[in-house]
Amino acid sequence: MTKFLLLVLLSFFVVDVTSAQNNFIARQGQISFFSYASVENIEAQNNQVLSILDISNQKIAVSMLMRAFVFKKDLMYEHFNESYIESDIYPKATFEGDIIDFDSNATNQIKIIEGDLNIHGITKKAAIKATITKNENAYLITGEFIVLVKDFDIKIPPVLTSNIAKSITLKFTFQYQPYEE
Amino acid sequence: MNRNKTIIKTILLLLITVIVYYSVVPFFGDYDMNLEDLKPDANLNSKDLVYSYSLNELQSNSSFNGKIIEVTGKVKEVSSLNKRNTVILFGKTKQSGIICDIHPSQADKLKSIKINQEVTIKGICKGFLKDVILLNCYIDTKIDD
Repeated sequence: MTKFLLLVLLSFFVVDVTSAQNNFIARQGQISFFSYASVENIEAQNNQVLSILDISNQKIAVSMLMRAFVFKKDLMYEHFNESYIESDIYPKATFEGDIIDFDSNATNQIKIIEGDLNIHGITKKAAIKATITKNENAYLITGEFIVLVKDFDIKIPPVLTSNIAKSITLKFTFQYQPYEE
Repeated sequence: MNRNKTIIKTILLLLITVIVYYSVVPFFGDYDMNLEDLKPDANLNSKDLVYSYSLNELQSNSSFNGKIIEVTGKVKEVSSLNKRNTVILFGKTKQSGIICDIHPSQADKLKSIKINQEVTIKGICKGFLKDVILLNCYIDTKIDD
């Protein structure tokens, strides 16, 4: 009886460890964007982006607060949040996707992540090329992609159209650690 | 008479200049402001702030988002990830805490901070993901020095 109980407890432990090792978390992921403009280039950085990587299902989820983007100037921050992104109505941007042909044991691989990108309340399909590096029991995912402003119903006043680029380059870096639930 | 008009015009011009300066210039200033001398809108324990967000994110957003919040809690981790100085405070559960992005002027204070030390940190609340996010944080090291 004692041996049976020990076996049951051990199996729970094994299941728990396996589950923990399948999920990885990055609480301080970094996303930055750059927009070339005739008057002044606009760039901002968000250093508190959340991402969860599920290696058994090859899935990745990202969530970020739009008001956590840091700009060089207050005016850029105000315009971004109040006029373009409307952060009070749409406070977060999210991405959920599948890493195509992901090999959880490979130390270095370049893969396409396909999924749904939601910005400003609009969801669009996206295919993003990413470099995935494994170091012991941690993963690093980096990459960049381009977002078209018109795809996400971001309205720019005609007087400012020459100041805002039609496409914006986003760069991302996520350092994942095992997620203990 | 002409002299009076000139004086009134000068005063009006000065007044307009002062108003324009104080209402417009801040928008062109650096975003990276230090909160050291600013009074917080709310003082909370780190566990209570995280609990409030996990209980009702919408209501907590309207209470705390964009406001200067002073939190007191125990240090879970000090990190320099992404070349940013960050202090993470414990929340009520293991899964959630408070991520405090520290203002560059506070970098020296970080050297003396230890895990599990109780600290008071003042920052601008940006919302909640799995953790509450505070930016431009100022560390009050008077507690538990």
